[in-house]
Amino acid sequence: MLAAFPEDLEISEYCRSLLSIFKDQYVAYAGCLVSAARPVKVCLGCNQGYARLSEIYANISNDQTSNSSCRDSLLRSDRLMLVYRLYGNLQSIWTQAACDRCLGAEPHVLTNDTQYFMDELNQTLSCFEYQQGNQSVLCQQCKSMYESLNVLYGGMEKNRSLCIDMEDAMNVTRRLWSTTFTCISLREETVPVIAVSCFMLFLPIVFYLSSYLHSEQRKLKLIHPKRAKSNNSLMHIQDKFS
Amino acid sequence: MANITKKVSWSSRADDSNATGEGTPLLNGSEGYPRQLSGGSIFQVGRLRTVDMDEGMTSDEDSLRGRPKEIRHSEKLLSLKYESLDYDNSENQLFLEEERRMSYMGFRCLEISRWVVCGLIGLLTGLIACFIDILVEQLAGLKYRVVKENIEKFTTVGGLSISLILWAVLNSAFVMVGAILVAYIEPIAGGSGIPQIKCYLNGVKIPRVVRLKTLLVKVAGVICSVAGGLAVGKEGPMIHSGAVVAAGVSQGRSTSLKRDFKIFEYFRRDTEKRDFVSAGAAAGVSAAFGAPVGGVLFSLEEAASYWNQMLTWRIFFASMISTFTLNFFLSVYHDNPGDLSNPGLINFGRFESNSLEYCLYEIPLFIAMGAIGGLLGALFNVLNYWLTIFRIRYIHKPCLQVMEAMLVAAVTATVSFTMIYFCNDCQPLGPDKAEEYPLQLFCADGEYNSMATTFFNTPERGVRSLFHNPPGSYNPLTLGMFTLTYFFLACWTYGLAVSAGVFIPSLLIGAAWGRLIGILLPSITSSSSVNIWADPGKYALIGAAAQLGGIVRMTLSLTVIMIEATGNVTYGLPIMLVLMTAKLVGDYFEEGLYDIHIKLQSVPFVHSEPPATSHWLTAREVMSSPVTSFSRIEKVGTIVDLLSNTSTNHNGFPVVVNHAAGDEPAKLCGLILRSQLIVLLKHKVFMELARSKLTRRKLQLKDFRDAYPRFPPIQSIHVSQDERECMMDLTEFMNPTPYTVPQETSLPRVYKLFRALGLRHLAVVDDSNRVVGLVTRKDLARYHLGKHGLEELQLAQT
Repeated sequence: MLAAFPEDLEISEYCRSLLSIFKDQYVAYAGCLVSAARPVKVCLGCNQGYARLSEIYANISNDQTSNSSCRDSLLRSDRLMLVYRLYGNLQSIWTQAACDRCLGAEPHVLTNDTQYFMDELNQTLSCFEYQQGNQSVLCQQCKSMYESLNVLYGGMEKNRSLCIDMEDAMNVTRRLWSTTFTCISLREETVPVIAVSCFMLFLPIVFYLSSYLHSEQRKLKLIHPKRAKSNNSLMHIQDKFS
Repeated sequence: MANITKKVSWSSRADDSNATGEGTPLLNGSEGYPRQLSGGSIFQVGRLRTVDMDEGMTSDEDSLRGRPKEIRHSEKLLSLKYESLDYDNSENQLFLEEERRMSYMGFRCLEISRWVVCGLIGLLTGLIACFIDILVEQLAGLKYRVVKENIEKFTTVGGLSISLILWAVLNSAFVMVGAILVAYIEPIAGGSGIPQIKCYLNGVKIPRVVRLKTLLVKVAGVICSVAGGLAVGKEGPMIHSGAVVAAGVSQGRSTSLKRDFKIFEYFRRDTEKRDFVSAGAAAGVSAAFGAPVGGVLFSLEEAASYWNQMLTWRIFFASMISTFTLNFFLSVYHDNPGDLSNPGLINFGRFESNSLEYCLYEIPLFIAMGAIGGLLGALFNVLNYWLTIFRIRYIHKPCLQVMEAMLVAAVTATVSFTMIYFCNDCQPLGPDKAEEYPLQLFCADGEYNSMATTFFNTPERGVRSLFHNPPGSYNPLTLGMFTLTYFFLACWTYGLAVSAGVFIPSLLIGAAWGRLIGILLPSITSSSSVNIWADPGKYALIGAAAQLGGIVRMTLSLTVIMIEATGNVTYGLPIMLVLMTAKLVGDYFEEGLYDIHIKLQSVPFVHSEPPATSHWLTAREVMSSPVTSFSRIEKVGTIVDLLSNTSTNHNGFPVVVNHAAGDEPAKLCGLILRSQLIVLLKHKVFMELARSKLTRRKLQLKDFRDAYPRFPPIQSIHVSQDERECMMDLTEFMNPTPYTVPQETSLPRVYKLFRALGLRHLAVVDDSNRVVGLVTRKDLARYHLGKHGLEELQLAQT
């Protein structure tokens, strides 16, 4: 009873309802994030949840209508600032995932590039699935598809239009290609490489040996400086030490 | 022995190899002649072994002097080609007159123009650094892109050996251009240039070291050698470039281009020029490492004997200007003009503060790393010493030098390629794209070959990635292999006929093994302390400092340079301790790399301290005697004959009151330099002519300055038969108060005088002021403390 008393005074009914909507959206979005954690589908799967959460947060933070505004009472009336902080965390997850890069101007629509990339990716993956039984055939059959996907990905990487979903999907595909199906090129030319290297390493030995044997050694002429009569000076030294 | 022995062996028999006793096997190599002493006997006096000889042998000695004795090159020689700089001012009457004429304002203007010159030096040095940096980046980028595309193409279809050959050929092509420039056009531009500048600041005139041509070759050469993928850096050459810029700017003219701007004429003498050259060297260091204070201290460390506060302040000014010129232009190049906070050619990058923490108990570890650095540095120096001797003896033709450089470039590419090819260490590509040219090769897609970050990159970027890449970026095996190969590559590369420095390769080797230690530490210690050793980057930094200190043995300046280049003072203490240990350990085995090269160039270098145990030597033993001297009023013919005598290439001549007959000493009244005499002869300042032409313009100090620094050789001055009979009055031009010492002065006293005053000639007089001998730089520099006590170097013509 005592605990309930100040609350009623401080927070208006309207703010309370805003907070309640925020709670629902928050729970929904956080749940979506968790279920989209692996494989990462954060941007494509939870963009609507994020949009709704942002909307209600914007409502709260823009609310200045009444004389006791909800913005002040909900966001910044204590040192914990829980609502602000909770939203901030989710927002930073969103920014780090770089979701804005693959979503269009309207928040829940994919850009054309993203859509195209996802289609290509799905084609490649279905090719993998279809040929799964025979690795060597898979490597041949899906190679062109996989390579064009790689080129596309490289291009988008340069444009900085990749979000975490695409990066993760590509990583998985690459890992499938390289590790699971081992379609990468193998070290097959060891012999020619070693041969060429040995030849190269052999050259300096030949060079140094031949210059040692054939090059004329540089000789220097000694110069004899003028000195005081040695007899004199040596006598002098001997005197000192005798 | 290579000591006073040379007095001995000119016996009537031709077995002049006597001069080489057992102490100097290098002089005659394997040809072991029996030691024959004709009538001589060995004394062991003090610790200097000398061999006595009979008085009667002097005539033989004289007759044999004409016959040149040939020996092989070794470190125990002094070359005749190096002269001293005239740091000491000649206070003759012309000088006094000029000083009298100069007003108070004149002196103020001089002071201001000194500042202007220093500003210009900083500006131009910064610009050159910027030019080198950009060009290297562009050329190396081009090369790596081409090779990378090629490798990527051939990884799938096969034919990687072609990529290997392409890489080797590209490397060799770049290096060939650089080596041809150095070997054929200006050999003095080879190497890092620091030994040469060190000698210049010590007061040795290295021929052509501060010419414009040298600068051009140096800049072009260093671009080629770094772009050519050699294990070299561009920092040493920057210091040399700064010095050349300083020497050129301060003179207000270019002798090579035959342009005289008629400014800064007062600075046209060795004293002023050398002060500016020290400013230039400082500006070079500061541009290279982004270390203005380090630059000043570098100049201080190398030229500490001639120094004052105002000069220090001016040098600091030049350094600052140089760093920030470079920053400004690089910021323009990197498209954010006005950003001055990204200094230095080599940018070690900023360490983040939490990766920097170190505790008291890590200090012993750092010291141990310093000791390792000292050992490895000494090994490096010993290997390079033998290699350099071999190069001087056998690979002295320019074509051979070019070939050698090309071979090294090709082998560097080959070794790098093989290492990358057989490396199994794959790392995922980071999100921040720290790797500029990631090579995938046989790694899985989305990963790169971690050996390629160090080998397939310019060495500087290699250093940076070793410092800053997150923990786990390298396998211990990768780092170990890299350290090993790069150590030998760098050692092999230094001393080639390309202009290239040793700073960056040393840092790279050190960073590699330092990081290796940093990675291995957690596995040795208990798992609970894993967090303490978390970041191997700091061990890379300490390792780099240790290795560099072990190789070049610089102390104060290197500490400050490292602190400034990494941008934090926190590591001041560990870096200092590490450098001290490295120097201590390294000096036990072998000298620093630069000192070795100075020695091998047979430069008469006057160290800061006289050799120990030399107090028993007196000026009488040290000096050259008898002295070639002139009378106050001397016949022109005598002067011309003496100057053109090639066997006595003296540069300073005592002027005596009355030339006595024979070799009898006469009273000293002044000292005159060869260069002064040549100017006098050129202007025909003869007494007879002065009498006949009364209107003749009086010679001024300006005439001497105009001829500086390239005084014409005596052969180019024509003196007719009649003129030979004329007389010359030297009173007005000689330095009337040369420094003198009595005969009994000990060697250390003479040494200190020389070093502190920057002398070139020091007259030795007897009790009645009669000049009995002359001490020059070569007389002092020939003594050094060897393994068998005090040894004496021989003079040779190179």
